[in-house]
Amino acid sequence: MVIKVKNLVKRYSELIALDHLSFSVRKGEIFGLLGPNGSGKTTAINCILSLLKYDKGEIEIFDKPMTPEAYDIKRNIGIVMQNVAVYNELSVYENIDYFCGLYVKDKNLRKKLVDEAIEFVDLNDYRKFYPNKLSGGLLRRLNIACGIAHKPELIILDEPTVAVDPQSRNKILEGIKELNKKGATIIYTSHYMEEVEQICSRIMIIDKGRAIATGTKEELKAMITLGEKITVESYDISEEHLIRLKNLPNIVSVEYKEQLLEIKSSKGKNNLENVLEFIKRENIQFGKIYSELPTLNDVFLEITGKELRD
Amino acid sequence: MPVYKLCMKITKKNIPHLLIYIIVFLIVSSIMAVTAQKSHKEQETFSRVKTNIAFINEEESPLIEGLKDELGKAANFVELPDETETLQDALFFRRIVYILRIPEGFTQRFINGDYMPLEKTTIPDSYSSAYIDLAINKYLNTARLYIQQMGGITQEELVSYLKENLSKETNVEIPYSEPEADLNYSNYFFNYLAYSLLSILILGMSALMISYNDRDLKRRVGCSPLSDTAANLQFILANLTFAMVSWLIMVVFCLIIDAKNSLTLNTFYFIISSFIFAFCGSGMGFFIGSVAKGNETISAITNVVVLGSCFLSGVFVPVEFLGSTALKIASFTPSYWYVKANNRIAQLTHFDAAYIKPVLSDMAIVFCFGIAFFALSLVIRKNRRYS
Ligand SMILES: Nc1ncnc2c1ncn2[C@@H]1O[C@H](COP(=O)(O)OP(=O)(O)OP(=O)(O)O)[C@@H](O)[C@H]1O
Ligand SMILES: [Mg+2]
Repeated sequence: MVIKVKNLVKRYSELIALDHLSFSVRKGEIFGLLGPNGSGKTTAINCILSLLKYDKGEIEIFDKPMTPEAYDIKRNIGIVMQNVAVYNELSVYENIDYFCGLYVKDKNLRKKLVDEAIEFVDLNDYRKFYPNKLSGGLLRRLNIACGIAHKPELIILDEPTVAVDPQSRNKILEGIKELNKKGATIIYTSHYMEEVEQICSRIMIIDKGRAIATGTKEELKAMITLGEKITVESYDISEEHLIRLKNLPNIVSVEYKEQLLEIKSSKGKNNLENVLEFIKRENIQFGKIYSELPTLNDVFLEITGKELRD
Repeated sequence: MPVYKLCMKITKKNIPHLLIYIIVFLIVSSIMAVTAQKSHKEQETFSRVKTNIAFINEEESPLIEGLKDELGKAANFVELPDETETLQDALFFRRIVYILRIPEGFTQRFINGDYMPLEKTTIPDSYSSAYIDLAINKYLNTARLYIQQMGGITQEELVSYLKENLSKETNVEIPYSEPEADLNYSNYFFNYLAYSLLSILILGMSALMISYNDRDLKRRVGCSPLSDTAANLQFILANLTFAMVSWLIMVVFCLIIDAKNSLTLNTFYFIISSFIFAFCGSGMGFFIGSVAKGNETISAITNVVVLGSCFLSGVFVPVEFLGSTALKIASFTPSYWYVKANNRIAQLTHFDAAYIKPVLSDMAIVFCFGIAFFALSLVIRKNRRYS
């Protein structure tokens, strides 16, 4: 196990930020920590890194207990914080060199690593820029470069793509996969389910400091009753239609709002076929019609009763 | 040493900001140099005029009588009641330029060979008071010589020998009786250095600390294998480097401006004193940077601490004009002891252990302040780790 967290509890006076959180991260995986704002993702990361004192629980990294003085462990961790942490007085290059220098003493090796990191986040044109001259997205990329330059075994990224444009975001996500392929174990925190779904091999969904589900995305989706979601664009749906639709086999719920008919069905065969047949039979005029498999948002919705994103 | 290098880089970026202080300091001290030289010339034409001094005598003895007679050659005695306020007023309005107090028991101690200083209060930077100093030193040094050479000599004998000896040599010694060095400039310069150096050190240091102590950055660095001890040590080292470079620039400037006095022992002691003060100032900067949280706090503290302590300690206004309460408060600041040491150094004409000792003890106090600041900061930083 790369990380083992057992019964972690962290309180901020009244607020329980982490409530008996337990999970482990295996070597070589990309572990996703998915949860809405304020669910405790950053708090969990800070506790794992011994940056915060916690009230209860055990944390092991590389099978050794993690403490503020565990420098051997820290040496092999790369961290990209949610809040950009760079020195305004240092240029892009100097910043990466400084953070890399905290881990790597050898000057020549460091130069090579820094160049690679700059290449990795595509900041070559900005080497001599100072952080206050960088846009928000570029700053994020610098933040990432500072965290991963020393090629650590374990990389923890806390919402690294906030404010990054879709193109760069994809590049970063691909880069993270690349790092993973080269052997790094990765913890990736986000409230974007698409991102997590795209790159993570295992996902833990947390809400209010509690783990509500853990598994691969297939496993997570299998946990819920929802099979697929069928949406029909139509003008002439009556109350009568809705009641009769609901009586079809496997249909869980039916909703009609703003010319959109949303039908949720549980797992089973021929769900779409049944709906299509019904529409034909009733001679309902329709525009588009499509069916979707459940997303992690649906998983979150079904377990907590609320949307992942507000 | 990543942290050390980081500090140097950040400080380099702050140089334009700090340069303002250095330039203002250098300009003000150059102006002082010019005016000091001017007043020097004015005083030369008046040097034949006898100086007005107050002679407060707490005991009567032939030795003291002899001293008074001898001083009478160089000074007019102004009769004043022994009240602090009256005496200070007289100094302030220049009715007198020198108050000499013979403490009780002086004669006996002197004859026994114990060191006991005469208490004196002067208008700083006064040419004529140096003249009085010289007369006193000459009298007492000659007396000591007699006592050492002729064991068991009575006071009356001693005084008559002295009278003869000093009057005999008076004519020969006139060119000698002028002070060898004009220390007005360097004394002022090194006192004023307290203000500039402190401002620069605290400003530079705290700018550094603010960048370094930023919460997110601290957390980020806290994830790395850099130990707190190593970070603190490198930080202190950077701090001291910065202090020494600033100090060096100022001192070199003084030596250039005041070249004719550069090779005196007084200047040597000034340099040592300011060096120790630079160490202390760097500790102060480290301390303030460890305590203060934001930029505004820092500039507020800089103004209050630096301006306040410098004012109270006699950097801008001579200590003679400050009330005793002010001085008592000031004695809790290192600049007070630094200025005290400097004023002593400026008066030094002899460099025997007995004269140097009080200077060294003032310097030692400044040094201890420095150590205390560093120690306190380390404790605070340790306790702040998890906040
Ligand atoms: N220093 C603090 N003092 C008090 N409460 C805090 C503190 N830091 C965080 N919290 C609270 O703890 C809870 C969890 O915060 P945390 O930052 O871990 O959430 P998060 O999942 O990282 O959210 P986001 O997606 O917005 O980054 C929140 O309710 C937050 O208000
Ligand atoms: Mg967060």
